[in-house]
Amino acid sequence: MVATAFSSLVMMETEEAQIASGLRRRDPDVLDALIEQYQHRLLRYLVHLTGERATAEDLFQETWIRVLEKGHQYDGKSRFVTWLMTIAHNVAIDHLRKRRPASLDEMRDTEDAAPFEPVASAPSPFDNVSAMEDGARIQAALEQIPPIFREVLVLRFQEQMKLEEIAKLINIPLATVKTRLYRGVMALRPALRGHG
Amino acid sequence: MAKAITKIEAGFTTLKRGASTLNRRCCGGSDDARQAMNGNEHGRAMDLLTRREVEGIAEPDERWLESHLAACEECASYELALSNAERAMRSFTVMASASLVESTRARLQVRAVQLRERESRRFLIAISFAMGVVFSTLSAWAWWKVGGWMVERFSLPSVIVEPGLVLFWLLPAIFLGILLVAFPESKFEGSVMQLFMKDRQRGIQ
Repeated sequence: MVATAFSSLVMMETEEAQIASGLRRRDPDVLDALIEQYQHRLLRYLVHLTGERATAEDLFQETWIRVLEKGHQYDGKSRFVTWLMTIAHNVAIDHLRKRRPASLDEMRDTEDAAPFEPVASAPSPFDNVSAMEDGARIQAALEQIPPIFREVLVLRFQEQMKLEEIAKLINIPLATVKTRLYRGVMALRPALRGHG
Repeated sequence: MAKAITKIEAGFTTLKRGASTLNRRCCGGSDDARQAMNGNEHGRAMDLLTRREVEGIAEPDERWLESHLAACEECASYELALSNAERAMRSFTVMASASLVESTRARLQVRAVQLRERESRRFLIAISFAMGVVFSTLSAWAWWKVGGWMVERFSLPSVIVEPGLVLFWLLPAIFLGILLVAFPESKFEGSVMQLFMKDRQRGIQ
């Protein structure tokens, strides 16, 4: 058990070290592989954060450009996905500051926000319809939540990040992460009654 | 509902501050259980619930949590909300389109070329600067010697020769400075200096 955990840790370290080395060299193959691996997760995070598909796509590109530019700063000691999401978070913040000097709270969804794309877990038509209904319901509920809570929910439930990782990523205290998670969950609760 | 939320939030605050017991009456179950419940316990329950899925919790904590959830309606309700939210959010995703990925790759390639060029220019500038420092140091020493020889050979006053040498030394820099101030940037189109300045501006932005 311990040996397995240790070997997986070593493997992860090796993988992260390889990524760090590739980023330092600006190896196009490494970048391609990273884009391939993290494209959906990154876009999902940005869509949830900004609430706008078009903006999220712009920031998606900007994030990868910044990964290319700042790749030498990644030391391979932490998980790459955490570093990537930190970059995306900062890109989103910069974008917002450029657009208007305001907090993330103002990144509320607008009318032109593109809908999320629900993906059914099973291929049957019934499941597809059911998943779409759920997706629409969750989307509507998420739209009502301030982005600062939404961001924590996404990082926790979709990215499966540890609380400490989220705190580091967003640069807020651990207690604030817990509070945001709690408030996000409670804000979603009315819309999710009977879900599952 | 709002009251209950406030109570559980207070649990977090208690946990954060490490404050002493906050007596609350939010729980279902027996009177004994109600009396036994306090802010610290709710805070602990919330913390364990939050950590259970991703970080995992120890067996004794799990047992304690189960017994707490059996006695506390509000925490049990939070557990349900948490698992519903988790299930709901995992049930759909956002997909990046192939065109988005392709255009991102294309932009990355262009940017990579730009970065390589910029690094080459920086390298060139650094080498030029280093060579300039070496040559100017050596030639300063040589000119100083020449100045000394002229003072001796032609019996010139060193009060004139020394400032003259310094002025002569500064002439190229003064000349370049005047050029930069006097002429618009377009005069230097394509020059290393202009590229360097553009890079700096881009970096500042």
